[in-house]
Order: sequence, then C-alpha cells, then structure tokens
Amino acid sequence: MVRGTTLRGVRWNAAAAGPWLATGARLVLGGVFVVAGALKIPDPAAAVRAVRAYRLLPEPLVAPVAFGLPVVEIAVGLALLLGVFVRTAAIAAAVLLVVFLVAVGSAWARGLQIDCGCFGTGGEVAAGKTAYPLEVFRDGALLLAALLLARRPASRLALGGRPAVDPVAPEEYSRAR
Amino acid sequence: MPAETRRRTNRERLAARRAAEAAARARAERRRRTVLGGVVAVVVVIVGVVVAIVVQMQRSAPAAGAAAPAHTVDGTVIAVGSADAPVTVDLYEDFQCPNCKAFEDATGSTLAGLVADGTVQARYHGMAFLDTSANDQYSTRALNAAAVVLATAGPDAFQAFHDLLYAHQPAEGGSGLTDDQLVQYATQAGATGTTVEKDIRDLTYGDWVRQSTDQASKDGVTSTPTVLVDGKRLADLSANGLNAAVTAAAGG
Repeated sequence: MVRGTTLRGVRWNAAAAGPWLATGARLVLGGVFVVAGALKIPDPAAAVRAVRAYRLLPEPLVAPVAFGLPVVEIAVGLALLLGVFVRTAAIAAAVLLVVFLVAVGSAWARGLQIDCGCFGTGGEVAAGKTAYPLEVFRDGALLLAALLLARRPASRLALGGRPAVDPVAPEEYSRAR
Repeated sequence: MPAETRRRTNRERLAARRAAEAAARARAERRRRTVLGGVVAVVVVIVGVVVAIVVQMQRSAPAAGAAAPAHTVDGTVIAVGSADAPVTVDLYEDFQCPNCKAFEDATGSTLAGLVADGTVQARYHGMAFLDTSANDQYSTRALNAAAVVLATAGPDAFQAFHDLLYAHQPAEGGSGLTDDQLVQYATQAGATGTTVEKDIRDLTYGDWVRQSTDQASKDGVTSTPTVLVDGKRLADLSANGLNAAVTAAAGG
C-alpha cells in the first residue's frame, strides 16, 4: 500500500507535467499557424506569387491554394489556441507541415532561389539570400510538436475535450468535473 | 436489522444504476455535441475557404486599365538600345536589392558599351518586393518613379535614372530615398515637366508596378538579379561573365 502510493505519487508528478507541455505545444503551434495565415491575407497578389514560386502546381490551382491555405492555417491555429478538437487540429497541422517540408525540400533540391513565403511574402529573394536550412529546421520542430500533441492531446487551459487527469482513475473525471 | 440492511443495499444498487445511466446519457450527449461541433466547424472552414478564394480573386484581379507608361514593350518591359541588336539581355531587378547594385557596379559600364555599339538590347523587368514600412515602400516608389521618367523622357532617360538610383541605393533596412530625392534624380536624368513630380508622389504607375512584379513571377523569376542572355540564365554575374556570354550568343 505504502509502496503503491509512492509509485503512484511519482507517476502523478510526471503525468502532471505532460498536460502543461501539451498546452505549451498548443500555444506555440497555434500561434505560429494563426500568424502565418493572417500575414498571407493582406496582399493576395504576393500570396499567389509565393505559391507559384515553388513551380509545383499547375497555374489554375495556384490562386485557389494561395487564397484557401491561409484560412485553413488560421482555423487549425485557432482550434489549437482555444483547445478544441486538439487531436484533429494537431493531425491537420502535422499534415500541413509535411506538405510544407516536401515543398521547401523540393525547391531546395531543385536549386530554386525562393523564399518559402511562409509568413506572407511573395516568394522572391535577393540572390543568395535563401534560408532553406532555417525553414526546414523550423518546420521540422513544429512537426515534432504537432505529432506529440496528436499522440497526447490532453492539456490544461483548453476549452474542449476531456480534462487532463490520470487515465488510471476514471472515477476522478466525474468528481473533477 | 437484516430487512434494514437489505433495503439499504437495494437502495444503493438502485442509486448506482441510476448514476451509471446518467453517466452513459452524459457521455452520449457529449459525443453528440462533439460530432455536431465537428460538423459545424468543418462547414465553417469550407465556407471560409470558398469566401476567401472569391474575395481574394477579386482583390488580386489586375486593376482595370492599369496604365502602362509610354515606351514599354509588351506592357511591362523597358527596352534600351536598338531592337535590331543581335543579342538581348533581360534583367530582372529590384531597386532596393543590394545584389542588384553589386551587379550594376560590376557590369553597368560593360553593358552600356554593348548597348551603345549595337550588340545588345537591354530589356529591363522591374520587380518591387522589398517594400517595408521602414523604407516607406521604397521598391514600389522607385519603380514607379522609373516608369514616370520612362514615360516622360524615354528609355535613355530611364537608363540614366536607373543608374543614378543604383549609384545612390539606400541601405537595406534603412529608410529609402525620399520622394524629393527621387524627383531630383528624375530631373537630373532628363525627365522634366509639370507632371513628373506629381506622378512620382502620387504613385501614378502603382498598379503597373504590381503588374510588372506579377509578370516576373509568371516568367518564373523569383530572385534578383536574374539576368538572361538571349534567354539563357547568366550564372557568372561579372563583367567578364557578361562579355563572354554576349560574345557566345552573338557568335552562335
């Protein structure tokens, strides 16, 4: 009994930190997505040029992607910030980040001289000013956060979902609520 | 006592069953609300995407009758030198781009010589993507001013103004040249007249500047300077590199 309590106490501490880490991941990931989406809206022509710069999409698809993507980014970001549909939003964020990584990686591999346009520029750069390593690192770090969040979405300060409580004590839920 | 105990056990059992039923109902209700919320959220996002596409399409549509300055070729190209020159050199530049200044410093006189002796026609494609609030949208203001000079005084005056702006390029991250300075350089380049100052200050060719920047994107150009010698990208952006490429193009 005593041993069990001690073990449980230790596990509780570890379990208590997890939800706060998930909250941090939610806020960082959500904040980046909302900002990145919002910055692409004021100058639609630049958004189109940024998507076209990758030379991956046929021209008729360039504008719809350039205009639709920011809305999706903001929606995913808001869900994460508010803490609703966290797992779904985290998976969506991970999918988007994989797409971004593939796009940036392919531009890098093809030797294109472009800016990723991640935060609302038109994709143009002054020669030799590309920042592929930084862009890949940033997207990679965010992808890691999104995957961890998708695996353990329970977090503090969330509007939706079940509250983060030790899963071995289900009765605690009802009492906590 | 036994009856009392039995009654209490029954009561507890009943209470437990009611609690379980209530919990199940609450779970079902929660699930129903989550599904409903999810459907609503998905619909809202889809509607948002459609609305954004429609609105942004309208916002980014080229302004009706975006006035191109006189003397442009194909709407956005500024050609300097004889159209009969055997070699064309296309230059994509932004007036705020430091590497463009470096290129101009290194090759400007060489290119001017090639244009003067009729070997090369230079085709300038303006881009304006280095606007910041710190430089008060200098890229756009500078390209607009260049369009004003071109429209007022022709390609040679444009070339002179172009060279003046690169010679006096403001530092990147700095405040950009003022409209007063642009007007002064325009006058120095030979663009005089009552409308020059007004057209520079009012961004008369602002829509054309956007159109020109978009055209560069459609041409597949994303970095400046991009230099094409007879359509072939120049890798060695030095005077020797330019000379060699032009000689090769003229010979072939």
